[in-house]
Amino acid sequence: MTTNTNDELAQIFEGWSSTVGKPTLKDNARMTTRGVDVFYGEKQAIFGVDLDIGKNEVLAMIGPSGCGKSTFLRTLNRMNDTIDICRVKGDIHLDGDNIYDKKMDVVNLRARVGMVFQKPNPFPKSIYDNVAYGPRIHGLVTRKAELDEIVETALQKASIWNEVKDRLDQPATGLSGGQQQRLCIARTIAVSPEVILMDEPCSALDPIATARIEELIAELSENFTIAIVTHSMQQAARVSSRTAYFHLGRLVEVGATDKIFTAPEHRLTEDYITGRFG
Amino acid sequence: MVSITFDKHTSGQFNAELEEARNHLMEMGGIVEQQIEIAFKSLVNVDSELASEAIQMDKDVNKMELKIDKETTQILAKRNPAATDLRFIIAVSKTVNDLERIGDEAVKIAQQAIELSNDGAGPQGYVELRHLGEKVREMVQSSLDSFARLDADSAFEVMQQDKAVDLEYNTAVRTLVTKMMEDPRTITRALNVLWALRALERIGDHAQNISENVIYLVKGKDVRHKKLEKVEETVNR
Repeated sequence: MTTNTNDELAQIFEGWSSTVGKPTLKDNARMTTRGVDVFYGEKQAIFGVDLDIGKNEVLAMIGPSGCGKSTFLRTLNRMNDTIDICRVKGDIHLDGDNIYDKKMDVVNLRARVGMVFQKPNPFPKSIYDNVAYGPRIHGLVTRKAELDEIVETALQKASIWNEVKDRLDQPATGLSGGQQQRLCIARTIAVSPEVILMDEPCSALDPIATARIEELIAELSENFTIAIVTHSMQQAARVSSRTAYFHLGRLVEVGATDKIFTAPEHRLTEDYITGRFG
Repeated sequence: MVSITFDKHTSGQFNAELEEARNHLMEMGGIVEQQIEIAFKSLVNVDSELASEAIQMDKDVNKMELKIDKETTQILAKRNPAATDLRFIIAVSKTVNDLERIGDEAVKIAQQAIELSNDGAGPQGYVELRHLGEKVREMVQSSLDSFARLDADSAFEVMQQDKAVDLEYNTAVRTLVTKMMEDPRTITRALNVLWALRALERIGDHAQNISENVIYLVKGKDVRHKKLEKVEETVNR
Protein backbone atom coordinates (compact mmCIF):
# COMPACT_ATOMS: atom_id res chain seq x y z
CA MET A 1 0.00 0.00 0.00
CA THR A 2 1.33 3.44 -0.84
CA THR A 3 1.90 5.88 1.98
CA ASN A 4 0.07 9.17 1.63
CA THR A 5 0.55 12.29 3.70
CA ASN A 6 -2.45 13.67 5.58
CA ASP A 7 -2.80 16.46 3.03
CA GLU A 8 -2.83 14.03 0.15
CA LEU A 9 -5.39 11.88 1.94
CA ALA A 10 -7.58 14.91 2.62
CA GLN A 11 -7.44 15.70 -1.08
CA ILE A 12 -8.15 12.15 -2.18
CA PHE A 13 -11.10 11.81 0.18
CA GLU A 14 -12.45 15.29 -0.45
CA GLY A 15 -16.13 15.39 0.45
CA TRP A 16 -15.98 11.92 1.97
CA SER A 17 -16.60 11.40 5.66
CA SER A 18 -18.42 8.11 5.74
CA THR A 19 -19.47 5.42 3.32
CA VAL A 20 -21.81 6.61 0.58
CA GLY A 21 -24.87 4.43 0.01
CA LYS A 22 -26.32 1.83 2.37
CA PRO A 23 -23.59 -0.38 3.80
CA THR A 24 -25.89 -1.91 6.41
CA LEU A 25 -29.06 -3.86 5.86
CA LYS A 26 -32.26 -3.55 7.89
CA ASP A 27 -32.83 -7.27 7.98
CA ASN A 28 -31.67 -10.28 6.05
CA ALA A 29 -28.00 -9.76 7.01
CA ARG A 30 -25.98 -12.96 7.19
CA MET A 31 -22.70 -11.31 8.16
CA THR A 32 -22.32 -7.91 9.76
CA THR A 33 -19.12 -5.95 10.29
CA ARG A 34 -18.97 -2.81 12.42
CA GLY A 35 -16.04 -0.47 12.84
CA VAL A 36 -13.55 -2.97 11.48
CA ASP A 37 -9.93 -1.80 11.57
CA VAL A 38 -7.11 -4.05 10.41
CA PHE A 39 -3.45 -3.43 11.19
CA TYR A 40 -0.30 -5.06 9.86
CA GLY A 41 2.08 -4.22 12.69
CA GLU A 42 1.92 -0.43 13.04
CA LYS A 43 0.39 0.08 9.66
CA GLN A 44 -3.36 0.38 9.36
CA ALA A 45 -4.79 -1.32 6.28
CA ILE A 46 -8.55 -1.06 6.93
CA PHE A 47 -10.31 1.91 8.52
CA GLY A 48 -13.62 1.53 10.35
CA VAL A 49 -15.57 -0.53 7.85
CA ASP A 50 -19.28 -1.10 8.49
CA LEU A 51 -20.70 -3.51 5.95
CA ASP A 52 -23.41 -6.17 5.88
CA ILE A 53 -23.63 -9.15 3.59
CA GLY A 54 -27.21 -10.22 3.00
CA LYS A 55 -28.48 -13.78 2.86
CA ASN A 56 -28.20 -15.26 -0.64
CA GLU A 57 -26.76 -12.10 -2.07
CA VAL A 58 -23.62 -11.84 -4.16
CA LEU A 59 -21.59 -8.91 -2.86
CA ALA A 60 -18.70 -7.79 -5.04
CA MET A 61 -15.80 -5.86 -3.53
CA ILE A 62 -13.79 -3.81 -5.96
CA GLY A 63 -11.01 -1.26 -5.75
CA PRO A 64 -7.47 -0.57 -6.88
CA SER A 65 -4.60 -2.80 -5.78
CA GLY A 66 -3.76 -2.29 -2.13
CA CYS A 67 -7.17 -0.83 -1.26
CA GLY A 68 -7.72 -3.50 1.37
CA LYS A 69 -10.51 -5.47 -0.27
CA SER A 70 -8.73 -8.83 0.05
CA THR A 71 -7.59 -7.98 3.57
CA PHE A 72 -11.17 -7.21 4.48
CA LEU A 73 -12.42 -10.42 2.85
CA ARG A 74 -9.90 -12.41 4.84
CA THR A 75 -11.14 -10.99 8.13
CA LEU A 76 -14.52 -12.58 7.42
CA ASN A 77 -13.28 -16.10 8.18
CA ARG A 78 -10.26 -15.11 10.25
CA MET A 79 -7.78 -16.00 7.52
CA ASN A 80 -5.68 -13.11 8.84
CA ASP A 81 -5.08 -15.09 12.04
CA THR A 82 -2.35 -16.91 10.17
CA ILE A 83 -0.40 -13.64 9.78
CA ASP A 84 1.44 -12.92 13.04
CA ILE A 85 1.57 -9.15 12.75
CA CYS A 86 -2.06 -8.79 11.73
CA ARG A 87 -4.55 -7.35 14.25
CA VAL A 88 -8.28 -6.98 13.70
CA LYS A 89 -10.44 -4.57 15.71
CA GLY A 90 -14.20 -4.07 15.59
CA ASP A 91 -17.13 -6.49 15.47
CA ILE A 92 -17.77 -9.17 12.89
CA HIS A 93 -20.81 -11.35 13.36
CA LEU A 94 -22.02 -14.37 11.45
CA ASP A 95 -25.72 -15.03 12.07
CA GLY A 96 -25.35 -13.19 15.37
CA ASP A 97 -22.20 -15.07 16.49
CA ASN A 98 -19.14 -12.94 17.15
CA ILE A 99 -16.52 -14.66 15.00
CA TYR A 100 -13.62 -13.10 16.93
CA ASP A 101 -15.01 -14.39 20.24
CA LYS A 102 -12.41 -16.36 22.21
CA LYS A 103 -14.77 -19.33 22.29
CA MET A 104 -15.19 -19.37 18.51
CA ASP A 105 -13.74 -22.55 16.99
CA VAL A 106 -11.82 -21.24 13.98
CA VAL A 107 -11.83 -24.57 12.15
CA ASN A 108 -15.59 -24.71 12.46
CA LEU A 109 -15.85 -21.04 11.45
CA ARG A 110 -13.97 -21.75 8.24
CA ALA A 111 -16.41 -24.54 7.45
CA ARG A 112 -19.26 -22.07 7.92
CA VAL A 113 -17.44 -19.38 5.93
CA GLY A 114 -15.60 -21.15 3.11
CA MET A 115 -13.04 -19.61 0.83
CA VAL A 116 -12.03 -19.99 -2.81
CA PHE A 117 -8.65 -18.55 -3.73
CA GLN A 118 -7.12 -16.87 -6.73
CA LYS A 119 -5.20 -19.88 -7.90
CA PRO A 120 -6.92 -23.25 -7.78
CA ASN A 121 -5.28 -25.19 -4.94
CA PRO A 122 -6.51 -28.79 -4.99
CA PHE A 123 -4.85 -31.21 -2.56
CA PRO A 124 -2.45 -33.66 -4.19
CA LYS A 125 -5.08 -36.32 -3.76
CA SER A 126 -7.80 -37.89 -5.86
CA ILE A 127 -10.75 -35.86 -7.07
CA TYR A 128 -12.99 -37.78 -4.66
CA ASP A 129 -10.72 -37.24 -1.66
CA ASN A 130 -10.45 -33.52 -2.35
CA VAL A 131 -14.21 -33.13 -1.90
CA ALA A 132 -14.51 -35.78 0.83
CA TYR A 133 -11.76 -34.19 2.94
CA GLY A 134 -13.91 -31.52 4.58
CA PRO A 135 -16.89 -33.70 5.49
CA ARG A 136 -14.45 -36.29 6.91
CA ILE A 137 -12.46 -33.95 9.16
CA HIS A 138 -15.60 -32.18 10.34
CA GLY A 139 -17.18 -35.57 11.11
CA LEU A 140 -20.23 -34.80 9.00
CA VAL A 141 -20.67 -38.41 7.88
CA THR A 142 -20.52 -41.87 9.39
CA ARG A 143 -21.10 -44.11 6.41
CA LYS A 144 -19.37 -44.37 3.03
CA ALA A 145 -22.69 -44.14 1.18
CA GLU A 146 -23.42 -40.80 2.85
CA LEU A 147 -20.00 -39.49 1.91
CA ASP A 148 -20.49 -40.65 -1.68
CA GLU A 149 -23.73 -38.70 -1.80
CA ILE A 150 -22.16 -35.52 -0.38
CA VAL A 151 -19.29 -35.74 -2.87
CA GLU A 152 -21.65 -36.25 -5.80
CA THR A 153 -23.98 -33.44 -4.73
CA ALA A 154 -21.10 -31.02 -4.19
CA LEU A 155 -19.59 -31.86 -7.57
CA GLN A 156 -22.99 -31.44 -9.22
CA LYS A 157 -23.58 -28.08 -7.54
CA ALA A 158 -20.16 -26.98 -8.72
CA SER A 159 -21.12 -28.00 -12.29
CA ILE A 160 -18.23 -30.42 -12.69
CA TRP A 161 -19.85 -33.79 -11.95
CA ASN A 162 -20.34 -34.77 -15.59
CA GLU A 163 -16.69 -34.08 -16.36
CA VAL A 164 -15.23 -36.09 -13.46
CA LYS A 165 -17.75 -38.77 -12.53
CA ASP A 166 -15.81 -41.49 -14.37
CA ARG A 167 -12.44 -40.58 -12.91
CA LEU A 168 -13.09 -39.75 -9.27
CA ASP A 169 -10.07 -41.78 -8.17
CA GLN A 170 -7.66 -39.89 -10.40
CA PRO A 171 -5.41 -37.09 -9.13
CA ALA A 172 -7.12 -33.69 -8.99
CA THR A 173 -3.94 -32.07 -10.24
CA GLY A 174 -4.59 -33.67 -13.65
CA LEU A 175 -7.63 -31.44 -14.22
CA SER A 176 -7.52 -28.21 -16.22
CA GLY A 177 -7.25 -24.89 -14.35
CA GLY A 178 -10.95 -24.14 -14.73
CA GLN A 179 -11.90 -27.65 -13.62
CA GLN A 180 -9.55 -27.41 -10.64
CA GLN A 181 -11.21 -24.15 -9.59
CA ARG A 182 -14.67 -25.70 -9.83
CA LEU A 183 -13.34 -28.67 -7.84
CA CYS A 184 -12.14 -26.23 -5.16
CA ILE A 185 -15.63 -24.71 -5.13
CA ALA A 186 -17.08 -28.25 -4.76
CA ARG A 187 -14.65 -28.84 -1.88
CA THR A 188 -15.85 -25.63 -0.24
CA ILE A 189 -19.54 -26.37 -0.58
CA ALA A 190 -19.17 -30.02 0.51
CA VAL A 191 -19.20 -28.87 4.15
CA SER A 192 -22.39 -26.81 3.56
CA PRO A 193 -21.03 -23.37 4.39
CA GLU A 194 -23.32 -20.41 5.04
CA VAL A 195 -21.02 -17.98 3.29
CA ILE A 196 -18.53 -18.47 0.45
CA LEU A 197 -15.70 -15.96 0.12
CA MET A 198 -14.03 -15.75 -3.28
CA ASP A 199 -10.74 -13.94 -3.71
CA GLU A 200 -10.34 -13.24 -7.43
CA PRO A 201 -11.49 -16.76 -8.30
CA CYS A 202 -11.15 -16.29 -12.06
CA SER A 203 -7.94 -14.33 -12.39
CA ALA A 204 -5.97 -17.43 -13.38
CA LEU A 205 -8.62 -18.73 -15.79
CA ASP A 206 -9.35 -18.28 -19.48
CA PRO A 207 -12.57 -16.52 -20.62
CA ILE A 208 -14.55 -19.74 -21.08
CA ALA A 209 -13.58 -21.17 -17.68
CA THR A 210 -14.35 -17.72 -16.23
CA ALA A 211 -17.81 -17.71 -17.82
CA ARG A 212 -18.52 -21.13 -16.28
CA ILE A 213 -17.47 -19.95 -12.81
CA GLU A 214 -19.63 -16.84 -13.19
CA GLU A 215 -22.58 -19.00 -14.22
CA LEU A 216 -21.87 -21.16 -11.19
CA ILE A 217 -21.80 -18.13 -8.86
CA ALA A 218 -25.32 -17.23 -10.04
CA GLU A 219 -26.52 -20.78 -9.34
CA LEU A 220 -24.78 -20.97 -5.96
CA SER A 221 -26.34 -17.71 -4.80
CA GLU A 222 -29.68 -19.55 -4.55
CA ASN A 223 -28.29 -21.51 -1.60
CA PHE A 224 -25.29 -19.58 -0.36
CA THR A 225 -24.22 -16.08 0.53
CA ILE A 226 -21.26 -15.03 -1.58
CA ALA A 227 -18.70 -12.26 -1.18
CA ILE A 228 -16.34 -11.92 -4.11
CA VAL A 229 -13.25 -9.79 -4.53
CA THR A 230 -12.43 -9.15 -8.16
CA HIS A 231 -10.13 -7.01 -10.25
CA SER A 232 -12.47 -7.34 -13.18
CA MET A 233 -15.13 -4.66 -13.01
CA GLN A 234 -17.12 -6.36 -15.73
CA GLN A 235 -17.14 -9.48 -13.62
CA ALA A 236 -18.37 -7.54 -10.59
CA ALA A 237 -21.06 -5.98 -12.78
CA ARG A 238 -22.12 -9.37 -14.16
CA VAL A 239 -22.21 -11.54 -11.05
CA SER A 240 -23.13 -9.34 -8.11
CA SER A 241 -26.30 -7.75 -6.84
CA ARG A 242 -24.45 -5.27 -4.60
CA THR A 243 -21.04 -3.74 -5.07
CA ALA A 244 -18.72 -2.21 -2.50
CA TYR A 245 -15.91 0.11 -3.55
CA PHE A 246 -12.78 0.27 -1.37
CA HIS A 247 -10.09 2.92 -1.60
CA LEU A 248 -6.97 3.16 0.57
CA GLY A 249 -8.55 1.00 3.26
CA ARG A 250 -11.85 2.87 3.37
CA LEU A 251 -15.20 1.62 2.20
CA VAL A 252 -16.07 4.59 0.00
CA GLU A 253 -19.36 3.54 -1.54
CA VAL A 254 -21.71 0.60 -1.55
CA GLY A 255 -24.92 0.15 -3.45
CA ALA A 256 -26.92 -1.86 -5.96
CA THR A 257 -24.58 -3.03 -8.71
CA ASP A 258 -26.91 -1.54 -11.36
CA LYS A 259 -26.56 1.86 -9.75
CA ILE A 260 -22.81 1.71 -9.04
CA PHE A 261 -21.99 0.93 -12.67
CA THR A 262 -24.32 3.46 -14.27
CA ALA A 263 -24.47 6.36 -11.83
CA PRO A 264 -22.15 6.07 -8.82
CA GLU A 265 -22.44 8.76 -6.17
CA HIS A 266 -18.79 9.31 -5.30
CA ARG A 267 -16.05 10.71 -7.50
CA LEU A 268 -13.56 8.02 -6.37
CA THR A 269 -15.92 5.22 -7.42
CA GLU A 270 -16.60 6.96 -10.71
CA ASP A 271 -12.90 7.44 -11.40
CA TYR A 272 -12.11 3.81 -10.69
CA ILE A 273 -14.86 2.20 -12.72
CA THR A 274 -14.31 4.51 -15.68
CA GLY A 275 -10.57 3.83 -15.71
CA ARG A 276 -9.31 7.19 -14.52
CA PHE A 277 -6.64 5.84 -12.19
CA GLY A 278 -3.04 5.34 -13.14
CA MET B 1 -24.03 13.42 -8.35
CA VAL B 2 -20.51 13.27 -9.69
CA SER B 3 -19.65 16.15 -12.02
CA ILE B 4 -18.85 15.10 -15.55
CA THR B 5 -15.51 15.10 -17.30
CA PHE B 6 -14.52 13.08 -20.31
CA ASP B 7 -10.78 13.35 -20.05
CA LYS B 8 -8.36 12.03 -17.42
CA HIS B 9 -8.78 8.37 -18.36
CA THR B 10 -5.63 6.34 -17.92
CA SER B 11 -6.04 5.55 -21.61
CA GLY B 12 -5.41 8.71 -23.62
CA GLN B 13 -6.82 6.93 -26.65
CA PHE B 14 -10.15 6.51 -24.83
CA ASN B 15 -10.20 10.24 -24.04
CA ALA B 16 -9.64 10.95 -27.71
CA GLU B 17 -12.38 8.54 -28.84
CA LEU B 18 -14.96 10.15 -26.52
CA GLU B 19 -13.90 13.62 -27.60
CA GLU B 20 -14.22 12.64 -31.23
CA ALA B 21 -17.73 11.22 -30.77
CA ARG B 22 -18.71 14.43 -28.97
CA ASN B 23 -17.27 16.67 -31.68
CA HIS B 24 -18.98 14.70 -34.41
CA LEU B 25 -22.30 14.89 -32.60
CA MET B 26 -21.97 18.66 -32.34
CA GLU B 27 -21.02 18.81 -36.01
CA MET B 28 -24.11 16.78 -36.92
CA GLY B 29 -26.22 19.06 -34.71
CA GLY B 30 -24.83 22.08 -36.60
CA ILE B 31 -25.75 20.58 -39.97
CA VAL B 32 -29.26 19.73 -38.77
CA GLU B 33 -29.81 23.24 -37.35
CA GLN B 34 -28.77 24.69 -40.68
CA GLN B 35 -31.00 22.23 -42.52
CA ILE B 36 -34.05 23.25 -40.48
CA GLU B 37 -33.30 26.91 -41.09
CA ILE B 38 -32.99 26.45 -44.84
CA ALA B 39 -36.08 24.22 -45.05
CA PHE B 40 -38.08 26.70 -43.04
CA LYS B 41 -36.90 29.63 -45.12
CA SER B 42 -37.79 27.72 -48.28
CA LEU B 43 -41.29 27.27 -46.91
CA VAL B 44 -42.04 30.84 -45.86
CA ASN B 45 -40.49 32.23 -49.05
CA VAL B 46 -41.90 29.41 -51.19
CA ASP B 47 -38.45 28.92 -52.67
CA SER B 48 -38.04 25.53 -54.34
CA GLU B 49 -34.31 25.99 -54.85
CA LEU B 50 -33.70 26.46 -51.15
CA ALA B 51 -36.01 23.51 -50.54
CA SER B 52 -33.88 21.30 -52.78
CA GLU B 53 -30.81 22.42 -50.85
CA ALA B 54 -32.42 21.33 -47.56
CA ILE B 55 -33.33 17.98 -49.09
CA GLN B 56 -29.75 17.53 -50.34
CA MET B 57 -28.36 18.24 -46.87
CA ASP B 58 -30.10 15.14 -45.57
CA LYS B 59 -27.38 13.07 -47.19
CA ASP B 60 -24.77 14.74 -44.97
CA VAL B 61 -26.94 14.18 -41.92
CA ASN B 62 -27.29 10.49 -42.77
CA LYS B 63 -23.54 10.17 -43.30
CA MET B 64 -22.90 11.68 -39.88
CA GLU B 65 -25.42 9.30 -38.35
CA LEU B 66 -23.56 6.28 -39.72
CA LYS B 67 -20.19 7.69 -38.70
CA ILE B 68 -21.16 8.41 -35.09
CA ASP B 69 -23.01 5.11 -34.74
CA LYS B 70 -19.86 3.33 -35.81
CA GLU B 71 -17.79 5.27 -33.29
CA THR B 72 -20.14 4.58 -30.38
CA THR B 73 -20.33 0.89 -31.31
CA GLN B 74 -16.54 0.70 -31.32
CA ILE B 75 -16.34 2.37 -27.91
CA LEU B 76 -18.91 -0.04 -26.48
CA ALA B 77 -17.06 -3.02 -27.92
CA LYS B 78 -13.55 -1.99 -26.96
CA ARG B 79 -13.85 0.12 -23.83
CA ASN B 80 -16.69 -1.36 -21.82
CA PRO B 81 -17.68 2.13 -20.69
CA ALA B 82 -19.24 2.56 -17.24
CA ALA B 83 -20.91 5.33 -15.26
CA THR B 84 -20.69 8.77 -16.97
CA ASP B 85 -18.85 7.28 -19.94
CA LEU B 86 -21.64 4.75 -20.42
CA ARG B 87 -24.36 7.37 -20.01
CA PHE B 88 -22.52 9.59 -22.46
CA ILE B 89 -22.41 6.87 -25.12
CA ILE B 90 -26.10 6.05 -24.60
CA ALA B 91 -27.01 9.76 -24.76
CA VAL B 92 -24.94 10.31 -27.91
CA SER B 93 -26.42 7.27 -29.56
CA LYS B 94 -30.00 8.34 -28.85
CA THR B 95 -29.35 11.96 -29.76
CA VAL B 96 -27.92 10.92 -33.12
CA ASN B 97 -31.16 9.10 -33.75
CA ASP B 98 -33.21 12.17 -32.84
CA LEU B 99 -31.05 14.43 -35.03
CA GLU B 100 -31.47 12.11 -37.98
CA ARG B 101 -35.25 12.16 -37.50
CA ILE B 102 -35.18 15.96 -37.26
CA GLY B 103 -33.35 15.89 -40.60
CA ASP B 104 -36.16 13.77 -42.05
CA GLU B 105 -38.77 16.24 -40.75
CA ALA B 106 -36.82 19.13 -42.32
CA VAL B 107 -37.00 17.23 -45.62
CA LYS B 108 -40.79 16.97 -45.22
CA ILE B 109 -41.00 20.74 -44.67
CA ALA B 110 -38.90 21.34 -47.79
CA GLN B 111 -41.12 18.98 -49.79
CA GLN B 112 -44.19 20.99 -48.78
CA ALA B 113 -42.36 24.14 -49.92
CA ILE B 114 -41.84 22.56 -53.33
CA GLU B 115 -45.52 21.53 -53.54
CA LEU B 116 -46.63 25.07 -52.63
CA SER B 117 -44.20 26.51 -55.12
CA ASN B 118 -45.59 24.20 -57.84
CA ASP B 119 -49.08 25.48 -56.99
CA GLY B 120 -47.75 28.97 -57.46
CA ALA B 121 -49.06 30.17 -54.15
CA GLY B 122 -47.37 31.16 -50.91
CA PRO B 123 -48.28 30.49 -47.33
CA GLN B 124 -47.97 34.18 -46.46
CA GLY B 125 -50.38 35.19 -43.80
CA TYR B 126 -50.07 31.98 -41.86
CA VAL B 127 -48.51 33.73 -38.92
CA GLU B 128 -48.74 30.61 -36.82
CA LEU B 129 -46.31 28.80 -39.07
CA ARG B 130 -43.61 31.44 -38.70
CA HIS B 131 -44.06 31.60 -34.97
CA LEU B 132 -43.96 27.86 -34.45
CA GLY B 133 -40.96 27.57 -36.74
CA GLU B 134 -38.96 30.08 -34.71
CA LYS B 135 -39.84 28.39 -31.44
CA VAL B 136 -38.92 24.95 -32.65
CA ARG B 137 -35.61 26.11 -34.08
CA GLU B 138 -34.77 27.68 -30.75
CA MET B 139 -35.64 24.44 -28.99
CA VAL B 140 -33.28 22.43 -31.18
CA GLN B 141 -30.52 24.97 -30.71
CA SER B 142 -30.98 25.12 -26.93
CA SER B 143 -31.13 21.34 -26.57
CA LEU B 144 -27.84 20.98 -28.48
CA ASP B 145 -26.29 23.80 -26.44
CA SER B 146 -27.34 22.07 -23.23
CA PHE B 147 -25.68 18.89 -24.53
CA ALA B 148 -22.47 20.75 -25.34
CA ARG B 149 -22.40 22.44 -21.93
CA LEU B 150 -23.78 19.40 -20.06
CA ASP B 151 -26.37 21.73 -18.58
CA ALA B 152 -29.41 19.93 -17.15
CA ASP B 153 -31.13 23.21 -16.21
CA SER B 154 -31.25 24.53 -19.75
CA ALA B 155 -32.27 21.06 -21.00
CA PHE B 156 -35.21 21.26 -18.61
CA GLU B 157 -36.15 24.68 -19.98
CA VAL B 158 -36.39 23.10 -23.45
CA MET B 159 -38.69 20.42 -22.08
CA GLN B 160 -40.93 23.12 -20.64
CA GLN B 161 -41.14 24.81 -24.04
CA ASP B 162 -42.48 21.70 -25.71
CA LYS B 163 -45.85 22.12 -24.00
CA ALA B 164 -46.16 25.61 -25.51
CA VAL B 165 -45.21 24.24 -28.94
CA ASP B 166 -47.90 21.56 -28.72
CA LEU B 167 -50.45 24.18 -27.73
CA GLU B 168 -49.45 26.45 -30.56
CA TYR B 169 -49.59 23.57 -33.03
CA ASN B 170 -53.13 22.71 -31.96
CA THR B 171 -54.22 26.34 -32.26
CA ALA B 172 -52.66 26.60 -35.71
CA VAL B 173 -54.43 23.42 -36.83
CA ARG B 174 -57.77 24.80 -35.63
CA THR B 175 -57.18 28.08 -37.45
CA LEU B 176 -56.33 26.24 -40.67
CA VAL B 177 -59.39 24.01 -40.39
CA THR B 178 -61.56 27.10 -39.96
CA LYS B 179 -59.97 28.67 -43.04
CA MET B 180 -60.56 25.53 -45.06
CA MET B 181 -64.22 25.50 -44.04
CA GLU B 182 -64.61 29.14 -44.88
CA ASP B 183 -62.99 28.83 -48.28
CA PRO B 184 -62.65 25.31 -49.70
CA ARG B 185 -60.35 26.61 -52.46
CA THR B 186 -57.61 26.94 -49.85
CA ILE B 187 -57.80 23.27 -48.86
CA THR B 188 -54.83 22.02 -50.93
CA ARG B 189 -52.57 24.81 -49.78
CA ALA B 190 -53.77 24.59 -46.23
CA LEU B 191 -53.01 20.86 -46.21
CA ASN B 192 -49.43 21.55 -47.33
CA VAL B 193 -49.05 24.01 -44.50
CA LEU B 194 -50.64 21.51 -42.13
CA TRP B 195 -48.05 18.87 -43.04
CA ALA B 196 -45.27 21.39 -42.48
CA LEU B 197 -46.77 22.34 -39.12
CA ARG B 198 -46.91 18.70 -38.19
CA ALA B 199 -43.21 18.29 -39.11
CA LEU B 200 -42.32 21.31 -36.96
CA GLU B 201 -44.22 19.89 -34.03
CA ARG B 202 -42.35 16.59 -34.41
CA ILE B 203 -39.03 18.45 -34.47
CA GLY B 204 -40.04 19.98 -31.14
CA ASP B 205 -40.65 16.47 -29.79
CA HIS B 206 -37.18 15.37 -30.89
CA ALA B 207 -35.63 18.45 -29.26
CA GLN B 208 -37.41 17.41 -26.09
CA ASN B 209 -35.96 13.89 -26.43
CA ILE B 210 -32.47 15.36 -26.78
CA SER B 211 -33.05 17.36 -23.61
CA GLU B 212 -34.13 14.19 -21.80
CA ASN B 213 -30.91 12.52 -22.98
CA VAL B 214 -28.91 15.44 -21.55
CA ILE B 215 -30.64 15.15 -18.17
CA TYR B 216 -29.99 11.39 -18.14
CA LEU B 217 -26.34 12.03 -18.96
CA VAL B 218 -25.84 14.73 -16.35
CA LYS B 219 -28.09 13.49 -13.55
CA GLY B 220 -28.01 9.75 -14.11
CA LYS B 221 -31.81 9.56 -14.02
CA ASP B 222 -34.13 8.55 -16.83
CA VAL B 223 -36.79 11.29 -17.00
CA ARG B 224 -38.69 10.02 -20.04
CA HIS B 225 -42.44 9.73 -19.57
CA LYS B 226 -42.23 11.67 -16.30
CA LYS B 227 -44.32 14.67 -15.33
CA LEU B 228 -42.48 18.01 -15.56
CA GLU B 229 -42.64 18.48 -11.77
CA LYS B 230 -40.80 15.16 -11.29
CA VAL B 231 -38.23 16.13 -13.91
CA GLU B 232 -37.70 19.43 -12.12
CA GLU B 233 -37.02 17.58 -8.85
CA THR B 234 -34.40 15.45 -10.60
CA VAL B 235 -32.76 18.47 -12.21
CA ASN B 236 -32.61 20.42 -8.94
CA ARG B 237 -31.24 17.53 -6.92
